[in-house]
Amino acid sequence: MELIERYLQAVKFWLPRQQKDDIIAELSADIYAQVEERETALGRKLTEAEVEEILRQRGHPLLVANRFLPQESLIGPVFFPIYRFVLKIFAFGYLLPATLVWIGLMIFSPSYRFEQTHASWFGAFASLFSYLWFTTCLVVVPLTIAFVVLERQQDRVRFFDRWNPRKLPVARNPNLIPRSTSSFELAVSLIFFLWFAFNLHSTVVPIGLTVAISLNPQWLWFFWGYLLLAMVNASLAGLNLMYPFWTARRATLRLLSDGAGAAIFCWLMKANLVAGITAVNLSAQQAIAMTQAINDWMSRLFPATIVLGLVIVATDVYRIVRLKSAGRSAS
Amino acid sequence: MQHMVQTMNQEPFENLRLELRRGCLVLAVLAALRREQYGYTLRKTLSEHGLEIDEGTLYPLLRRLESQGLLASEWREEDKRKKRFYLISSGGAQVLDLLLAEWRSIDSSIQAISKEHNHGTD
Repeated sequence: MELIERYLQAVKFWLPRQQKDDIIAELSADIYAQVEERETALGRKLTEAEVEEILRQRGHPLLVANRFLPQESLIGPVFFPIYRFVLKIFAFGYLLPATLVWIGLMIFSPSYRFEQTHASWFGAFASLFSYLWFTTCLVVVPLTIAFVVLERQQDRVRFFDRWNPRKLPVARNPNLIPRSTSSFELAVSLIFFLWFAFNLHSTVVPIGLTVAISLNPQWLWFFWGYLLLAMVNASLAGLNLMYPFWTARRATLRLLSDGAGAAIFCWLMKANLVAGITAVNLSAQQAIAMTQAINDWMSRLFPATIVLGLVIVATDVYRIVRLKSAGRSAS
Repeated sequence: MQHMVQTMNQEPFENLRLELRRGCLVLAVLAALRREQYGYTLRKTLSEHGLEIDEGTLYPLLRRLESQGLLASEWREEDKRKKRFYLISSGGAQVLDLLLAEWRSIDSSIQAISKEHNHGTD
């Protein structure tokens, strides 16, 4: 019967101190009663294998002990969905974008890549991981403690007793386009169109009376591209103003226009567009240095514009998916 | 096809069955402990009446019912072995009567609803 004693000892380890002996005595009586009954039925002592089988049927000692333990949790079922929601915001709002920006910088910025990997690639990954890990700990640990405190104070403070249905958020239809948004978009697109058409139609852009920026001839491609996009966006905003519901066709048009806008903007960042600067009291050397600096900075912002473009396109794609799935569930 | 549907429904059925039985077990344990018994014999009594219950469920349940004052227990020696005998308390007997009345009321409601549904689908 050594197996039974070993089993009881293993269960006992996990039990609450005050109840250990009592529970083990009862469990022991139960196991021995079962063994004795089997032995009476068989007319002989049980073999070790048969005792082992009985113990196996009773389950792992930790599981058996666990049934006697009070149900405990740091964050209970009421607060856990909120806790998970906040963690998701942190993951998708910070960790994912930070990682994407890092990847973007590593791919498109040779100076950043050199700075990070001058020791080794492993060092670069370790540096990213330690940075993300540190930030995660800095956010998640206090957040978890705050939720644990909320959980413990729940009964005393009674958060969920003080609520008012009138203070709940207004029911929102995600496919409805607020007319205020469409009006704003229409106004912005038209102002942009006019400002762009009148001020940036040439490769020399005067700023006030004393400064002028010269742009490369490539600029005209960007100019016509953005002018066309401004017209498309103004038309789409006008349409949305008249029919304030997203349709799959209009959502696709928005995706194409946003995608084209993002692609042109990313291209613009890498195009070394500024050819020169002229200004009163600016020497030729200073003008060259400034031109170089502007082009360099635009180039450095390229990874960030890619991330921004991807976020915009992903939002548009999500809208189309949502519309299509709503259409499927309606039919 | 029928076999596939049965297999598909097996898991939810099993979960719902366990959920349904969980509440009933309290009733069965209280009723069975109108006669004094220790854990192992109680488990056998329930099993003989078609209510299988494993010791990992029974003993914590007995402790809970005892801590709620619905059962009383006592350690005694029987067949050269110390055993803990349980018996329903007077408070437990009152609760059992109320629970049985509730059980019958639920049963008659379910009967009536399922009859109504059967008439509706006939």
